[in-house]
Amino acid sequence: MTLKLSLLAALTALAMGCTHVAPYERGKLAHPTMTDELAGGPAADHVYAVHEGATGGGSIAESGCGCN
Amino acid sequence: MRKLVLAACAMVAGASSAWASDDTDPAEQSVARKDRGEQLAAERVAQTAKLDDNSTKRASFEVATYADSDHVTVFTPSIAASIENVVQGASLRGRYIIDVVSAASADVVSTASPRWNEVRNAGSLEATYKPKTFGVTLAGSLSSEPDYFSFGLGSEMTLDLNEKNTTLEAGFGYGHDEVGRCGAENSPAATVQTCTSFGVFSRVINRSSFNFGITQLLGAATVGAIVADIGIENGDSSKPYRYVPMFAADVAASAPLGASYAWVTANRLPERPLEQLPLSRNRLSVTGRLSHRFDGSTLKLEERVYGDNWALFASTTDARWIFDVGKRVGIWPHVRFHAQTAVSFWQRAYVSGPAPGWDLPVFRTGDRELGPLWSGTGGGGMYLYVGSDAEPQKARFTVQVDGMYTSFLDDLYLASRSGVLASLAFQVEL
Repeated sequence: MTLKLSLLAALTALAMGCTHVAPYERGKLAHPTMTDELAGGPAADHVYAVHEGATGGGSIAESGCGCN
Repeated sequence: MRKLVLAACAMVAGASSAWASDDTDPAEQSVARKDRGEQLAAERVAQTAKLDDNSTKRASFEVATYADSDHVTVFTPSIAASIENVVQGASLRGRYIIDVVSAASADVVSTASPRWNEVRNAGSLEATYKPKTFGVTLAGSLSSEPDYFSFGLGSEMTLDLNEKNTTLEAGFGYGHDEVGRCGAENSPAATVQTCTSFGVFSRVINRSSFNFGITQLLGAATVGAIVADIGIENGDSSKPYRYVPMFAADVAASAPLGASYAWVTANRLPERPLEQLPLSRNRLSVTGRLSHRFDGSTLKLEERVYGDNWALFASTTDARWIFDVGKRVGIWPHVRFHAQTAVSFWQRAYVSGPAPGWDLPVFRTGDRELGPLWSGTGGGGMYLYVGSDAEPQKARFTVQVDGMYTSFLDDLYLASRSGVLASLAFQVEL
């Protein structure tokens, strides 16, 4: 139930925020820091995956490991 | 002098060619002109293609190290490369990573085993083709340890709508794991040489995953995304090294949080069975991401909520605020908080019956990541562009350092763990 409510709230928030941004208005969105490149690298992803009992939000073709 | 001779030769060749063609049949001249025209056209196309080679090639190298108070150290070098052509909508990315793990953790010590060392090799490859608004990605990954082999395959489709204000995504992944065993009985993996062949002993775990997501521009400086991941796992993921101590009921009730190895040894029953987990697991997570560009800084937020049919529920929050410090430097603080409940069959101290039947609990585990816990991470990072003055971002160093603290709320052996993760990366656009 908590998950459903969270999903509903997030979708609602997204829908409420929908505005049309023209291509020529996207200068800030194109800034290099807006990409995911500066997020944690593969080592950080791996450490979090091993230390947290939860998964998700990652790649579509992840291989497992016998890490914990 | 050499140039003069070559020029003279070219003139003579040209003159003789002209003379020769003047002397040929008009029909043959027409064919020759046509051939020459086609040749010139082909050369022009080739030159144009060369001029239009607007693909972006990147290579990166990262080295990371992790160490914690549970006597675990991990050294992780990795390399990655990508080539991307925005005009044609095609890209190819690859990564290779090595984990060198050394551990003398509570789990290892509790089995009276020496320090344990292991190397994991993993690689991944991903190709995307998105010529217009619809794109397809194919991905594969491979991971190998002396006692664990795994591969994954996946595909994802994306669709841009409303002038790329909205992007929908849907994907499917399949993973196949084989769990093996190294080292002698009653001990964790020791060395590669003592591993049992996968043909003699192995357990298979099959993993399927589905994801559905939407990315939405929320303004001229804000982008949000939400993605749902469904995971279905079938197979025995129990650790073949993890032995679970059993206690009499009255002793189990008084087992202290973080009870020492000595206390457990003195108070447990003689029987000490291997871990046994349920043979299937269904997972669901929903992840929301929000990025906003201010004047001079970028805020990135992520929240993931998770639940599975083992009754583990979790929340993970991650925030990073990147501040521009001049044209070439940026710094950021980073915080992350994770909290989770225990799986339904979690017990700090499991109870079994008297000998000889023992009457063991059907499911039992000592995996701390299946117990109740919370963890906090705090740290930061810095990037430094070292490219040319015209395009400084074409080469970049990145350094990140995070401190981690985990509180285990209902565990034997360990009540908390502190760790440090540090990484240094270099990326260059070729």
